Amino acid sequence: TNVSLRGTNLRCTWITGSARKIRDNAADWHNLMLRWDRLNDEGFNLAASIVNMSSQGDLLVLDTCPPPSQSTSAEAQQVAGAAELQDECLKLQDVVDRMVVVVKKMEHLVEIQRGVLQLEEFQFGPEGRRVPLCLSWKTREFEEMSGVLLAAFSQELKLKQTILQEVAHTMTSDLSKVYLSCWLHQPFIPAATRLGLEALLLETGHRPL
Amino acid sequence: MSEPLQEALRRSFVSLEKQREVWRSVLEECSPLMEALGNLAEQMSALTRVQLLDTPLRVFPQLEELLRVKLLQAADTVLQRLGENMCRLQSIRDSISSQASALLQQYQQSSVDLTMLTERSATVPSLADMLQWIQDAERFYRQQFLQRKALLQTLRPDQLLLLESAPKRWKSLESPSADQQITDSLCRLSLFIQPQ
Repeated sequence: TNVSLRGTNLRCTWITGSARKIRDNAADWHNLMLRWDRLNDEGFNLAASIVNMSSQGDLLVLDTCPPPSQSTSAEAQQVAGAAELQDECLKLQDVVDRMVVVVKKMEHLVEIQRGVLQLEEFQFGPEGRRVPLCLSWKTREFEEMSGVLLAAFSQELKLKQTILQEVAHTMTSDLSKVYLSCWLHQPFIPAATRLGLEALLLETGHRPL
Repeated sequence: MSEPLQEALRRSFVSLEKQREVWRSVLEECSPLMEALGNLAEQMSALTRVQLLDTPLRVFPQLEELLRVKLLQAADTVLQRLGENMCRLQSIRDSISSQASALLQQYQQSSVDLTMLTERSATVPSLADMLQWIQDAERFYRQQFLQRKALLQTLRPDQLLLLESAPKRWKSLESPSADQQITDSLCRLSLFIQPQ
């Protein structure tokens, strides 16, 4: 998709300055959101296997109680299970770390967008320019849209960080299910966010009208 | 034996064989959707049972509502796709039904007498048997469609208990013996159906 995005609308390729910045930013938003989605899938599989392992761990603990003779093998099994669980948690940690990087980059995009807006206010006064840079949006609208997108992903990142902290220690299966379903369905990234991105891509000529 | 009626029966069985394949493939598409629906219902009830205020998720005040919206949207999408599949099943049922009634009409308007009706050979079953089998198949698909449609119509994304039991009920509608009977009759017809 990175390839298809570039140069879909050739008449825009000559643009420079603020319009160029805005257009490149939109493409970056698209790519960052794709990267986020891939990380989300990867993380979900890890979180799901962590939940499965922890619930099996409970069963092992129950098993060890009655026959003391078998406890050594059961303990060894438990230690192996714990190591495996630890391993999956580290992998999930790594996914969340990479999500942090994505959100950092999104913050950077918002800063650029704010810079573009400030430059425009400096050049044209508080009303901004008369002729829109792309199709119809005012420069302020780009800045606002970036802010909306960033807010959604930052909040979702906080949720993921909470899930990362808790998912391996959760004893009730209902709560584990809620964690997994939060991870999968991303409640803080509503459908409107995706539509916002599409609007941005349309406005900047990345998607044909 | 009545040639035109026999020919019409042959064509109907050939088309029945094809439609059975399509029917089966549509049902195969439906079962993962049904599973997904049951799964979403399970997630929704888990969300209902957990008091988020007593969990580390309490720092996200809007979470429960937002997640519920997402789950409902997902369930809606699945229901819509099931609905599309029901339309495909309906058109298969319609086609089988119209063929069966056309055959019956053709038989009633023909001058086939009892001897011709019951006459059979090693490769060609009697007209009476074949008419019977087509009617049986038609009834099977009509009932199957109605039962599945009725099940789907009871489902609403907000009725968790119904949703949760839906995959099981959907599976229970399978009627292997009736299906096997159609397979058996098509087997008995294999020599007759083969293009000569």
